[in-house]
Parts: sequence; C-alpha cells; structure tokens
Amino acid sequence: MIRIALLVAAKDLRIERRSRVLLWQVLPFGVMALVLAGLALGPQHAGHSSAGPGLFYLVMLLVALLMINRSQTIESSPGTKASVATLGLDPAGVFLGKALALMVELWLMGIVLLGGSVLLLHTALGGTLSALPSVLVTLAALAAAGALYGALSGGGQGPATLLPVLSFPAFAPLLIAGERSFSAALHGGALWQWWVISLVALAAYVGIGILLYGVLEES
Amino acid sequence: MIKQLSQRLLGPVTFVLLALTLWLGLWVTPSFEIQGDLARLVYVHPAVAWVAIYVSFGTATIASALYLWRRTRSMLVDRIAHCAMEVSVVFILLTLITGSIWGRPAWGVWWAWDARLTSTAVLGVFALAYLALRRANDDPELRARRSAVLALLAAINVPIIQFSVQWWKTLHQGATVFTTDHGLKIHGIQAWTLLISFLGFTMLFFWLLRARYRLEVLRDERYNASLEEALVQRRREGVR
Amino acid sequence: MPDADVGLDLTPVAAPPSKRRGRRRSIGVVALLAVAVLALLSQGLLHSLNYFETVDQAMHSRGSLGTKTIRLEGIVKPNTINRTATGASFWIKGGGKEVFVSAHGSPPQLFQANIPVVVVGHFTSRTSDTFYGTQIMVKHTASYIAQHPKRVKAPNGSTR
Repeated sequence: MIRIALLVAAKDLRIERRSRVLLWQVLPFGVMALVLAGLALGPQHAGHSSAGPGLFYLVMLLVALLMINRSQTIESSPGTKASVATLGLDPAGVFLGKALALMVELWLMGIVLLGGSVLLLHTALGGTLSALPSVLVTLAALAAAGALYGALSGGGQGPATLLPVLSFPAFAPLLIAGERSFSAALHGGALWQWWVISLVALAAYVGIGILLYGVLEES
Repeated sequence: MIKQLSQRLLGPVTFVLLALTLWLGLWVTPSFEIQGDLARLVYVHPAVAWVAIYVSFGTATIASALYLWRRTRSMLVDRIAHCAMEVSVVFILLTLITGSIWGRPAWGVWWAWDARLTSTAVLGVFALAYLALRRANDDPELRARRSAVLALLAAINVPIIQFSVQWWKTLHQGATVFTTDHGLKIHGIQAWTLLISFLGFTMLFFWLLRARYRLEVLRDERYNASLEEALVQRRREGVR
Repeated sequence: MPDADVGLDLTPVAAPPSKRRGRRRSIGVVALLAVAVLALLSQGLLHSLNYFETVDQAMHSRGSLGTKTIRLEGIVKPNTINRTATGASFWIKGGGKEVFVSAHGSPPQLFQANIPVVVVGHFTSRTSDTFYGTQIMVKHTASYIAQHPKRVKAPNGSTR
C-alpha cells in the first residue's frame, strides 16, 4: 500500500512539475484572493482585524478546491482509470498517493500564502511562524478529505461545481480548527488542543479514505 | 392483505394523530411556566427534529449501508435511501425553521452558532449535497454507490448532534425525554401530547416516503419504457 | 486444431491473501478511529467549542480574557434588574461568583430574575469586574412545567 502510494504521489507531482498549473494558475489566484481579502477589510481594519486567520483559511479552501479538481482531472484523462484497474493497484494505496500529492501541493501553497497574510493581512510574523505546524497539519487533513471527496465528485456532470457542494460540510470543521489554532498562535490560547483536533481529523479522513476509496472506484 | 390494509390506513392514521396533536397542543394542554404559550412549539419542533435526524436520515443511512453490502445490494434499497434523504431535507428545514421561530422570542435570537444548531445545519447541507450528487451521475450503479458512501460519511454527524448538548455548553437546552438521569422533564397531558406528536410525525414520514417511493418507481418505469421505445424506433430505422 | 484443454489445470484455488489482509486492515482502521475519537472526547479536548464561559470560569481566567469579546453565562440575581432607556443592568451569578452586567439593547421577552442568561460582550477593563453586554440571550431549561400545577379547583371545576 505504501509503495503504491509513493508511486501515485510521485506520478501526480511529476505531472504537476511538467504542467506547472500550480505555479502559473493556482498560485496567482491564491495571491489575488488574499489581496481581495485585504481590500475587503479596508485600510481601517486591515492592520488591526483578527480576521486574518479566517481569511487565510478561506483563501486556502478556494485554492484547495481548485487543486482537488485538478487532481481528479488527472485521474479522469482517457485510459487512466482503465489502466489503474488493469494493473490491480490497491485502491487504498491510490488514495494515499493522491492525498500525499495534494498535501505537498497544499503545503507549498500554504507557506506562500502565510507569507502573504503577514504582508497583506498584517498577521504578526512571530505568531504566524508558530502557527506553521498547525497550519501544515490542518492542510494535510484538508488534503486527505479532498482526495476522498474528489473521488466522490469526479467523473459525473459538472464535477467542478459539485465538489464545493459535497465537501463544504466536511471542510467546515477543519476550517474552524485551523482558524482557532492560528488565532491561538497569534493572540494566545489553547493552541495544542486545536492541534490535536486537526491530527484526529487527519487520522479520521485517512482511515475513512483507506476503507471507502475502493468502493468509489470499483466498476 | 395485512400489507394492503396497513397501506390504506397509513394516511388516515397519520391525519388523526396530527389532528389530535394540533387539538391537544393548542386547546387542551395548559400553558407553561416561564415560557407561557410560546412553549406549545414543544409539540412540533422536537418531533420534527426526531424525524429529520433519526427516522428519516437513519433510514437513508441504513439503506445506504445495505446497498454497500453486496448481499443486500439492490436498486430497491437505493431508491429507499434516495427517497428517505429527500424527505429528510424537508424535515431538517422544518426543524431549523420551527427552531428559529421558537428561538427568537425565547432566546432573543433567530440563530446562534452553538454546537447543536451548527451541526444540524451541517447535516442539512450534507443532505442537499447527497441530492446534488445523485443528479450528477447518470449511471445508476455508480450513482447509488457514491450516494451511499456520502450518506455514511454524513451519518457521522448524527451522534455529534445528539450528544452536543452533553459534551459542550450550548445555548440549546438539553434533553427533555431521553435525559442522562432517565427522568422525564415533562408530565401529565403535556407528556402524552408530546408522545402523540412524535407518533404523528413519524407516521407522516412513512406516508411521505411511501408516496415518494411510488413516484420514483413510476419515474423509473417511464424512463425504461421511453428507452425501450427509442430502441425500437432505432431498430426500425436500421431495417429500412 | 489442437485440443485447447490439454495441459490446463482448472481446479479452484483459494482466495488470494490480499482479501484477508484487506479485512484485517479495515478492522484495524476502524478500531484506530474509534480510539482516537474517544480519546479526544474523554480528555475534554473539545471544550473550546463551548458556546459560553460561566461566571466562575470567566472570573478564574480574568487575566487572560482581558477585554476580549466573550459570551458569559449566569443566572440573573433577583431584585437586581434595573431597566434603563438604552438597555438593562443586573447582576448574574454562577459557581459562587457574581458579575455586574451593564447591557445595551432591550432584553428578550423571557428575561427575568432567576433565569439563566448568556450575555455577549466584554469586561470594561482588565481589572474591572463590570461586564458590558451588547446582546442578551435567555437560556431556558429543558423542563416543561404547567402553569400553576397545584392550583385548587372549585367544586364546579373552574379555576381562577
């Protein structure tokens, strides 16, 4: 399972490296969304608002939706599904691989956008750095959930519009946990508790994906 | 014969129970201390919530689990899951609306982001997502399988809703009937009216489910018939 | 044409070990998930999802709360309600502690003495024990008691 996961993750990341969709499309979108968030707060509030963490995660959610769709588009290309079925790959391994690739991509985006939130939303540098571990865990949980919900929405009519509808109820608790831990890192509070919640969410989605991904992909 | 009789009686029994609830709730039962006549919504809101979260959503979840288990996999259970989920959406919406109507004068707000209200709203979104997912797939087996998985994922929310008032401090009050100390917090004719309301709304669910299921069967038959007709026409064209 | 069946062994074979491994993996995953969630709940790690702080909790963490906006829950002390033109002031109690609340905006319909309330607002300063409220919500109980349950009835059945 792990070997297949690493193979699938490497394949997805190699495709990303060649196509550079993340670099030239998703990253500019994320930065623009952050700029718009800063504009929406207005000059009066941008430096003093405690909305920074929430806006960061809102932008990360939009970015994640784009990347999950992209991840599913790779799987939907002609012949891919048939090849995977013919090779008899362990679906749990395929799920873990997709989740791992998404996680790496989200981490890269997250680090860039954290820098953006310091510059544009004026979140304190020290607090933002201490929030980094919890951000990485929350994004990992988002990636695991995204790989599962991406498979649920993929291949049907309008997957791009279906994914947000399906995944919102699942992503909402992750967003809450992420925002609270980021806020706790900035303003003080029970940071480690939200850490643990995000870790449990990550474990839960990985477990559920291992159990159910095969059911979604069987033909 | 018993099956036909029970099907015939379902509608009238539902009507009688709901009418009884209305009569007892509005005219016969006394008003309450503190909340006065406002709390007469206790004969509607908890019953509607019970049906939305446990009866209706529960039926959809069990049917979905049965579909995913190969031994019981069939289009019958898939249809039941779909129909039950549609009815669940209606009842979840009613739960939120009646709760809001009660909350405004009682709490002072239409809505609060406390654990119970939020998790119930999330369940409603899950139910809508289920219906959206069903419309997005034409292949019946793929549609059934994916919807079943989503229903099971959504069902994780149900114990969160149930135990939210015990695990966390919430604005929403705790249980009145299924309390942790097994003591009833409502008595006399009020308790009996509450019981009748629960029965009435549960019967209403089964009546709606049956009607919706029959509609779904007719829709499938019509689709199959039109498909067959189209195939016959294509064959005729081929022969010419 | 040569006979295609010559040399073919068609006896049934046992299921590959991957099926049994799959079942063990499923059971392991479910057990791990159950343990993780139970651990989370039993350690009260989710108490941060509480909708409000009680009076004694707020007074205990007074230093860290500062003038941050919170929701404070307590029971309205009798004979302390003073309705003003802009709102109301009253004392709330909980866990042996008391806080003076000065609230802006009209209280809800059920607001009265001895009822639990949740007040949204903040302490007026880091050292002050006065709570400035912007919204009052009433948290009614789950008990439903008939009005005047022990009212005596006249022989003709009427009540007053």
